[in-house]
Amino acid sequence: MVIEQQLAAKALAEALKRGGDFAEIYAERRRSVSVSLEDSRVERSSAGLDSGVSIRVIKDRNISFVSTDRLDEESVLEAARLAGDGLAGGGAQAVSLSLAKSGYAHAIEIPPGSVATSEKAKMLHVADEAARAAGSEIVQASITYGDDVSEMLVANSLGTMAIEHRTRVRIIARVVGQRGSVMQTGYESVGAHQGMEVLAGDTAAHVGRSAADKALVMLDSKPAPSGKMTVVMHRGFGGVLFHEALGHGLEADTIEKGASVFAGRMGEKVANDMVTLVDDGSIPGEWGSNAFDDEGAPTQRTVLIEKGRLAGLMYDGLRARNAGVASTGNGRRQSFRHHPIPRMTNTLILTGPNQRDEIIAATERGFFAKTLSGGQVETASGDFVFGVSEGYLIENGKITTPLRGATLIGNGLTALTNIDMIADDFDMNIGLCGKDGQSVPVGSGQPTLRILNMTVGGTEV
Amino acid sequence: MLDLAKMALEKAMATGVDQAEAFALISRSLRIKVYQQEVEELASATGSGVGIRVLRNRAVGYAYTTDLSESGIAEAAGEASANAGITAADEFMELPQPAADADFPEMELYSAKLAATPVQDKIVLAAEIERTALERDERIAQVEGATYAEGEGTVAIANSLGLGRQYRETSCYAYAQAIAEQEGQMQLGMSFTTGRESGQLDGVGVGREAADRAVALLGAEQCESLTCPVVMDPFVTASLIGVIGSALTGEAVQKQRSMFAGKEQQLVAGTVFNLVDDGMHPDGLASAPFDGEGVPSRQTKLIDGGVLQGYLYDTYTGRKEGRPSTGNGVRGSYRTMPHVGATNLRLTGGDRPLAQMIAGVDLGFYVMEVSGIHSGANAVSGDFSVGAAGRLIRGGELAESVREVTIAGNLSTILASIVAVGNDNRWVPFGGSIHAPSLLIGEMTVSGK
Repeated sequence: MVIEQQLAAKALAEALKRGGDFAEIYAERRRSVSVSLEDSRVERSSAGLDSGVSIRVIKDRNISFVSTDRLDEESVLEAARLAGDGLAGGGAQAVSLSLAKSGYAHAIEIPPGSVATSEKAKMLHVADEAARAAGSEIVQASITYGDDVSEMLVANSLGTMAIEHRTRVRIIARVVGQRGSVMQTGYESVGAHQGMEVLAGDTAAHVGRSAADKALVMLDSKPAPSGKMTVVMHRGFGGVLFHEALGHGLEADTIEKGASVFAGRMGEKVANDMVTLVDDGSIPGEWGSNAFDDEGAPTQRTVLIEKGRLAGLMYDGLRARNAGVASTGNGRRQSFRHHPIPRMTNTLILTGPNQRDEIIAATERGFFAKTLSGGQVETASGDFVFGVSEGYLIENGKITTPLRGATLIGNGLTALTNIDMIADDFDMNIGLCGKDGQSVPVGSGQPTLRILNMTVGGTEV
Repeated sequence: MLDLAKMALEKAMATGVDQAEAFALISRSLRIKVYQQEVEELASATGSGVGIRVLRNRAVGYAYTTDLSESGIAEAAGEASANAGITAADEFMELPQPAADADFPEMELYSAKLAATPVQDKIVLAAEIERTALERDERIAQVEGATYAEGEGTVAIANSLGLGRQYRETSCYAYAQAIAEQEGQMQLGMSFTTGRESGQLDGVGVGREAADRAVALLGAEQCESLTCPVVMDPFVTASLIGVIGSALTGEAVQKQRSMFAGKEQQLVAGTVFNLVDDGMHPDGLASAPFDGEGVPSRQTKLIDGGVLQGYLYDTYTGRKEGRPSTGNGVRGSYRTMPHVGATNLRLTGGDRPLAQMIAGVDLGFYVMEVSGIHSGANAVSGDFSVGAAGRLIRGGELAESVREVTIAGNLSTILASIVAVGNDNRWVPFGGSIHAPSLLIGEMTVSGK
């Protein structure tokens, strides 16, 4: 245990001495390993321990939050006192704590701590060799392995206490291809809320090879056009578009403040019948999954858009309480130094009635977005922007020329209503999502689908 | 504080390594967020940790810990030493020799006033930002995250070549994002200001600017695609410069992932363009007497009159070229090894008033904000395509508001077509610490309808 249950209970009582409606303690101990390679040499190998505790006291809608990286009794109680001093009034009482249960159980086959760092470093060489074997135009490969093993305890004045051990493993390849003065990059990653088994077999080689192939394809690319086009999003990577364009506007904090285009529109039809969007933090082993969220609520599957109709929002404890509903297990934080806010876990567009080949064949002229490099949304207007790191022209129903330097831009609501075909070839990808200065692991996924009338921002008019 | 670093250094040397360095950081922070004139969030934090870097047979290992007990630090030292057995030996890997005392610049980075000012005054400041924005224009519906934040830290470094130094610093900022609403459309406007103590912050100015920027974008619509001159405001310039800065490091060049590789003494930008890395400017929040490995800070000319002067180096990348470190071994915290990066990037010598830039454009785009920089700008390939919002310029005057468009070009071409640099520099603390003015770019592609 990061801290004893008794100390957690004592800290909650201390935090509520001056009043407050709710108090919470979150303690964490995290061990991280990171090994990286570039120029075909292992350049960095690092190990670290990060631990600490934070106390949150809430009165009405006001939050007092104190964190410290000391876990001894005196420091924890001092933090609790300081947090309590930040607020006055209210009448919550500390209660006895009982351990919460989740239907989700981690199955970690090979704990990262049981594998020598030298074995992890070997995988980097495997990925590097695979990348360089892809073609003589590969001039650089940067491969990073990282694992993160943490233990958290969260307890609150409602009597909830949750304890979870979390293990995440990830490998990333960034590859540079060069032909004459043209340089292009390729990126690939694999990661999961699992042990080293996720990287078993030829995973490392696949990651290196895949990143290299992307860089090589882009060496043949032409500058992207600009203007309105029909866009076909390849399965998997496109999910990040829906994460940004729709997901952030369905997090309850933006809704609560009216800073979302979806505010006050629950039950409205916002998309074609074939569109169903869910957030699911309870998919076993997925990168964005946990047994509990960072407030001790079990993770769950939440339907956000059901057959084109707005059906649900993602709540943390505070916003759920304000709205008079139950938390959906979406209260997440980057570390003990951060307070929880509503965040996505794994966000998915479910499969539709079409076939991938059928969608491409039905597109006379369009843009095929195979890999997105990330994006950004302004939740108030719903306007989003995405970089396409690997894109192609679609001509006469066939994928043809690779295109570079394209950005997709649009509005979440408009894009949603313009989805007219969805395939049955669902896939997922992993990433880190940033919000309010906090970064958390998230998954996103979708089958191949088509969006009409999107703006592609290239350099060719 | 220096004692802690020295203790960690001893533990590291005791593991039998050739060289060792310990970096210790103690920090305290406070953040106040006001919403509807009430404190929505009051957050404070204390933190401390040590990072240990060791060299054995010219191979480097690293470890960090927040457990500052002797046993905790000894454990980290052991891990750092074990990690040196994982990495490849490298003849250029070495810790910096301590510089002479006179080489360390003196600067005022610490203000005792920060901690002495009551929290209540800081709450009043955050509330003032929100109130000013709301009163500025009736179309301001709300202010999201009117924030005051401050931090205070002490940094100490010791290495086995005899280095042992420390400094302390304070910083604070005020920030707001105003939401303007008209006929169902919402637009955001952001503003901020930075200082060493809260008395230096102009809350009223932040509230006004956030409101004005939001209102200016009301009624914005997508425009037709066009190729035209682009005027960037300082926020936008800073985003562009942040991307360019990452390609100007010795590491990016040595690793064949910089668009500036092999272009020293060549014209890489418009002749009006000057860029300096300045680790000593008193107002730059990245300023410090020395960098993350204890090398004195300095000013390094990167681009002068459009001509590339050189790159940024830490000790390791400098040794690879037979050059001294430029004091650019930066690190965010004790959790990371030092790596080469920019300190404060300053665009200097701009003389053109913004109004004059706009007046000289017949048909163009005044860009007030960009989005998707991380995904849409690639400092390796030079590809640049990002979302943009702002105003069209017609006949030398600001005209209709525009959103949902992209501006695109190749970074080399964009730099080469900088035709004027503004005289309105301001510090932008996002994506680095950048002192940026408005810029006039001769031509870019605007994609819309």
